[in-house]
Amino acid sequence: MNHFAPRRSNALLRYGAAPTFVVAALYLSFALRASFGNPAWFFFPAAVIAATWIGGKGPGGVAVVLSTLTVQYYFVPPIGSLGINRHDLPYFLIFVVCEALASWVISWRKDAEDAIRQARDELEVRVAERTAELKDANKALLAKMDEQQRTQEDLQSTRTELARVVRITTIGELTTSIAHEVNQPLAAVVANADACVAWLSLQVPNLTEARAAAERAIQGATRASEVIARIRSLINKRPPERIPVQLNIVIEETSMLAASQAAKNGVTISNELDPNLPCVVGDRIQLQQVLFNLVMNAMEAMSSISDRPRELKIRSQVQDSGQILVSVEDTGVGVNAETMARLFEPFFTTRAQGVGMGLSISRSIIEAHGGRLWADSSLGHGSTFQFALEHAEATRA
Amino acid sequence: MKDQEPIVYVIDDEALIRDGIQSLIRSIGLRAVAFSSPSEFLQAKRFEAPSCLVLDVRMPGQSGLDLQRQLNDADIFIPIIFITGHADIPMTVRAMKDGAMEFLPKPVRSQDLLDAVQKAIERDREQRKVHAELTEIRGRFNSLTPRETEVLNLVVAGLLNKQIADKLGTSELTVKTHRARVMEKTAADSLAHLVRMTERLKAVQK
Repeated sequence: MNHFAPRRSNALLRYGAAPTFVVAALYLSFALRASFGNPAWFFFPAAVIAATWIGGKGPGGVAVVLSTLTVQYYFVPPIGSLGINRHDLPYFLIFVVCEALASWVISWRKDAEDAIRQARDELEVRVAERTAELKDANKALLAKMDEQQRTQEDLQSTRTELARVVRITTIGELTTSIAHEVNQPLAAVVANADACVAWLSLQVPNLTEARAAAERAIQGATRASEVIARIRSLINKRPPERIPVQLNIVIEETSMLAASQAAKNGVTISNELDPNLPCVVGDRIQLQQVLFNLVMNAMEAMSSISDRPRELKIRSQVQDSGQILVSVEDTGVGVNAETMARLFEPFFTTRAQGVGMGLSISRSIIEAHGGRLWADSSLGHGSTFQFALEHAEATRA
Repeated sequence: MKDQEPIVYVIDDEALIRDGIQSLIRSIGLRAVAFSSPSEFLQAKRFEAPSCLVLDVRMPGQSGLDLQRQLNDADIFIPIIFITGHADIPMTVRAMKDGAMEFLPKPVRSQDLLDAVQKAIERDREQRKVHAELTEIRGRFNSLTPRETEVLNLVVAGLLNKQIADKLGTSELTVKTHRARVMEKTAADSLAHLVRMTERLKAVQK
């Protein structure tokens, strides 16, 4: 609307144009009367047209009235009065009608033009407005997408962190086992280094024996550093990876780390691994965490068993569907139906010191790898926890 | 006799530790044989020589403590030196109650281990000597006839020949003959010696 305000303030100019043009026509008509006979018939319609063109309908009407009166006064006999001869009246009326018609046509045309211009202007404004609205909407959408992305990232990092914390908790439960894991190779280093010194201290040093002992000491030290690297990689903070993982190696490492804990609990761990097991794609540490968890749970489930051997069997195999299946089987107390229903719920635990996140995290890890984790149990005979994952080729396809 | 030379049995599931300890023991001139598990040790032939066991407590399957129990139950008395990475008090108490010689933490200080091994072998040597003596004495006593055994029991109870004859309803002369046979068969120098041998046998039979 702001756009039309200057028009209104020009009202004086618009209406002023009518008498100005009429006066100009009058002056020109007098000035050129000598050379052109009676040019009033030409100049006054021109003045009306000009006034209408500039001022519109209103000033056009004013110009018509003014020029009619002026022509009637100055150029229609009797000159100098508003009277008119009877035989001049039709011509004069035709002149007036023509003038009015011209003014109407011009103003109509101008109105139409104005309307078009206005419509165009309005359209431009509307287009600009809509464009601005669209831009805002776009911006809002982008911001929202950004926020969602951030939320997603936050969620991911929270999940990773939670998994790490649970992993550390699990490792905490394994402290004696881990201490043993580190201490064993160190004990080997000390024993062999001592033996080496002893062989060298003989009156006739036995270099062959000393060398063999020194080599065993080196092996022990290497083993110790490997164990520490393995534990550190479990504790380290880092985003999950997606790389080919050989599950058999993960299983062997896990049972190795759990071996002394198992010995302490009188549990025999046996692995039945498919030697031709293909790789899966995923995060080795997280998958190891899942196995760890299942192994710890299995050992826990067997802690009160005394009437049968405490056996833990980890199996890897390729299913007919091509999926890789890993199962952890125990001869423990088993899981009743009520517990089974809640087994994978967060914070659900049957242990006094348990956090109850292990299985829930394990399932979310396996699901994030595009697989599934489930449990079968027969009360009083033991349970089997297993997970199935696509092999690396299938994941890529 | 090679078989009479002391021997140390090392049992640890960890090959590097096993080999290290075995090497250390051999370096001081002792024989050492290593096994990866208690069952492997039980199946192997053992030497009739002063010996001892260096035994890891924690092993998969049968633990060192289980083996100790099993040997005790089978009346195989061989001094045991336990080595362990993390001994708790109940574990140590149980091992010592069951007659362990030593309980050494891993990593083992070589001097501690070698001292313990020497001590254990000395003890086993003593044990074997005593055992051999007892076996011999028991053999001699077992060669007595029932009548001679009756006489023996009354003699060591402090009765005079005459009292014994009364009790058994025989003549003093017969008792004297029996008594002489007992002294001869058991190779006793004196009455006091005979009593001491009888007491030793009784102590073991308890």
